Amino acid sequence: MVIEEIVLCLRDLKKNYGTKEVLKGIDLTVHRGQIIGYIGPNGAGKSTTIKILLGLEGDFSGKVEIFGEEVTEKNIGYKRKIGYVPEIAELYDNLTAREYLTFVGELYGMDFQTADEKAQRLMKVFGMEEVYDSRIASYSKGMRQKVLIISSLLHNPDLLFLDEPLSGLDANSVMVFKEILAVLAAQGKTIFYSSHIMDVVEKISNRIILINDGKIVADGSFNELKAQNMEGTLEQIFNQLTGFNEYKALAEEFVAIVQEV
Amino acid sequence: MKNFQTLKFLDLFRRIFESFGIDYPVMRKILAVKLTMDGRRTPTIFNQQAKKKKKPEENGFIKSLGMYVLLSLFLIPIVVFGQNYLYQMSILFGIVMFLVMTSMISDFSNVLLDIKDKGILQTKPVGRKTISAAKTVHISIYLFFLTAAIAGAPIVAGTFKYGILFLLLSLIGLILVNLFIVVLTAIIYYFILRYFDGEKLKDIINYVQIGLSVSIAVGYQILGRAFSFIDMKITFSPSWWQFFIPPIWFGAPFELFLGSHSNGYLVIFSLLALVVPVLAIVVYNRMMPSFERNLQKLTNNSGGGKRKERRWKQWLTGVICRSNEEKVLFRFSDNMMRNEREFRLKVYPSLGLSLVFPFIFMFNEIQMNSYAHLVSSKWYLGLYGSCLMIPNAVTMLKYSGKYKGAWIYKTAPIQSLAPLYSAALKVFIVNLFLPVYLILSVIFIGIFGIKVIPDLLVVFVTAVLYTIICSNYLKGTLPFSESFEDAQQSGGAKILLALLLIAVFIGIHFAVTFIPYGVVMYYILLLVITIFAWKQAYKTIWNFQ
Repeated sequence: MVIEEIVLCLRDLKKNYGTKEVLKGIDLTVHRGQIIGYIGPNGAGKSTTIKILLGLEGDFSGKVEIFGEEVTEKNIGYKRKIGYVPEIAELYDNLTAREYLTFVGELYGMDFQTADEKAQRLMKVFGMEEVYDSRIASYSKGMRQKVLIISSLLHNPDLLFLDEPLSGLDANSVMVFKEILAVLAAQGKTIFYSSHIMDVVEKISNRIILINDGKIVADGSFNELKAQNMEGTLEQIFNQLTGFNEYKALAEEFVAIVQEV
Repeated sequence: MKNFQTLKFLDLFRRIFESFGIDYPVMRKILAVKLTMDGRRTPTIFNQQAKKKKKPEENGFIKSLGMYVLLSLFLIPIVVFGQNYLYQMSILFGIVMFLVMTSMISDFSNVLLDIKDKGILQTKPVGRKTISAAKTVHISIYLFFLTAAIAGAPIVAGTFKYGILFLLLSLIGLILVNLFIVVLTAIIYYFILRYFDGEKLKDIINYVQIGLSVSIAVGYQILGRAFSFIDMKITFSPSWWQFFIPPIWFGAPFELFLGSHSNGYLVIFSLLALVVPVLAIVVYNRMMPSFERNLQKLTNNSGGGKRKERRWKQWLTGVICRSNEEKVLFRFSDNMMRNEREFRLKVYPSLGLSLVFPFIFMFNEIQMNSYAHLVSSKWYLGLYGSCLMIPNAVTMLKYSGKYKGAWIYKTAPIQSLAPLYSAALKVFIVNLFLPVYLILSVIFIGIFGIKVIPDLLVVFVTAVLYTIICSNYLKGTLPFSESFEDAQQSGGAKILLALLLIAVFIGIHFAVTFIPYGVVMYYILLLVITIFAWKQAYKTIWNFQ
C-alpha cells in the first residue's frame, strides 16, 4: 500500500471575530491528489478557513499545517507552492494582463522572461492573446476570471485554493477549466474547491466537506454522503444537512408578492 | 512598465533595506507596480470611443505639485524677512504640516486604507515586513515630492541667508514632521476604525477632506490679508500651552542654534520635535497588526441603515415636480446626491466657499471703511457669491463613482430622459443651493435690514435662471453616468466664462437699484423669463438621447 502524502492538516481550528465564534473546531486532513469540494451556507466559515490557510488571518487557535510546515505569520515559504483564486475578483486592474501576470509570477520567485512567456502562452490557450497588453479594467467578467485563474497557476503550485472559480466563465470555458482540474488532480495536485454551485461540486470533487455554523457536518465522497442521507443530489443533501427545508414555501411567497403588482 | 527614476534613486539605499530584513527586489517590484498604477486612470465604458487615442501616462499628483511650488514662493518672505527664528519657522512648519496633512488625508487615504493589497500580496510568498516597507516607501516617495515642492524654495532662500546649519536643521525638521504626520494620520484612522465601522470612517474622511479643502481656500484669502497685520518683531514669551502646538516644537531648534536666545523652553521644544515623532513610530509599529485587523471593517457594513421619513421633502416633491416620472427621478437624484461621497467631495467645498466668499469681500470693505458704512452700502449684492458654486455643481451632476449603474436609465421603460435632468437640477437647487442661500439671507437681513428682502428674492430667481443657463451651456451626458476620473478633463475655461456671467447679473441688479421700484419690476421680469426659460429648456435641450 502506498502511504498517502498529507498535504494539509487542521487540528481543532477555532477562530473568533470579537465575541462571535466563526470556526468552532475544524479537524481536517487532506491528502495529495484530492479534489475537495468545500461547501456550506453563507457565513458558515468557508472563506475564513481559506483565509487562515493562506495566512491572511492570524489570531486563531489550533494547529494548521501545510506541506508539514506550520502556518504562522513569519513562515511564508509554504506559499510558494500555493495558488489562489479569490471569490471577489481582486486584482490591480489598472495594469495590463502582461504587467499583472509577470508581477505575480515574480512575486512567486519566477524570473520575468519565464513568467512573461508562460503567461502569454496560457492567455493564448484561453483565446485572449490580443488583449494581453490591454488593461484588465477593460476586460469582461469572464476574462478577468481567466486572468485570475492563470495568475493562480502560473508558478505551477501543488495546492490550489479556488473560491467560486467559475464565476463569469462561459459554458465552453467551464468545460475547459473542469478538465484542467481533473488533469491537475491526476498529476498529484491537490485542489480545494469552494462554491455554491452544487452540481459542479458534485461532479468534480472526489471528497466533499460540508461546513455549517463553524463545524464540519459532513465529510466523504458524494456516494458516501448519498448513502448516509438518502437524498438524490448534493443540493438536497446540502438542504437537509443545513436544516433548510422551506424553499418551496419561500418560493411561493416570493412569486405571490411579485404577482400582486 | 517604465523604469522609474525614483526607484533608481532608491536602489542606492538597497543595503539599508536589506539590513532590516526586507526583500529588496520584491519591494521594488511592488513599488514599480504601484507607481505604474498611480499614473493611470481607469477607462470609462461610455467614453471608450471618444478616447481611443492614447494619452501618455502621467501622474496627476506630480502635475499638481506646480500649485504647491507657486504657493511656496509666498513662503519665502516668511523665512527671509525678520529675525525671530522661532516665530518665522513655526509659521513655516505650521503651513507645511497643514498642507502635508491635507494631502495625506485626501490623496493617501486609499494607500493607508488599502485592502486590495492584502488579498493580492499576502497570499503570495512575500513577507509582511516587505509589504509594509513597500507601503511606507510608496507614501514616502510622494511625501518627499510634496514636501520638496512646498518647502523647497523657502529653504533654499533661507540657506542663502542663514547658512548651511539652517539647511541641515530644516532637512532634519522636515523629515521628522513628515514622520509625525504619517503616524498621526494612521493613529487617527486607527481610532476611528476601532470605534466605528467602515462606512462611518469613509464618511468621516469625506468630511475631513471637505473641511480641509474649504479651509485651504479660505486660508489663502486670509493669509494674503493677514500679512499686513503681522508684526515681525513679536517677542517670544514662553508659556505652557505652546507645548501643545507642534509647529512650535519644530521652530524651536532654529532659535536655539541660530538665534540669540537659548532658554529651557527652547531646549524642551527641540527635544519634543525629536522625541515625539520617534515615539510615534514605536507606537505605530505596535498598533500596526491590530490596525490591519480593523481595516477589514472597511469591507463590511455592520449596523443596518436607518431610513428617515422626511415629510417636508415629500411635500416639496409634490409641489415642484409635475409628472410622476419627474417625482420618481427627483427622489432618486436626491438619494444619489446625499449618499454619494465622491459627489459630496467634489461639490461641498464649493458650497462652503459660496458661504464664505460674500463675507471675505465684506470684511475687506469693513477694513477700508466702517461697519456703519457697510450697512448703508449695496454690499448685500454679495449674496451673488452664493451663485459661485452653480457652474461647478452643474458640471458635476453627470458624474458618479458608480456610473456603471447608469444602464438602468436605458432599460427602464421611461419615455424620455428629460425629466431626469430637470429633476437632478431641482434637487441641486433644493438640497445644495437653497441651504446656502437661506443661511446667507438670514445673515444679510440681520446686517442690512428687511429692506433688502426684494433684492434677496431677485438673487434667488437669478440663481435659478443661472442654473438653467449653466446646464444648457455646460450640458453633458445624463446625470450620474460618467466616472469622476474624467472630471478633471472637463473644461475649466468654460466654468470661468460662466462665472463671468454672474458679474453681468450683478451689474444689471446694481443698475436697477437706482430706478424707483426697479428691483420689484426686475424681479417680475426675471420670474417670467425664468419660467419661460425652464419650459423652453425642458422642451429642447434636455431631450437628447
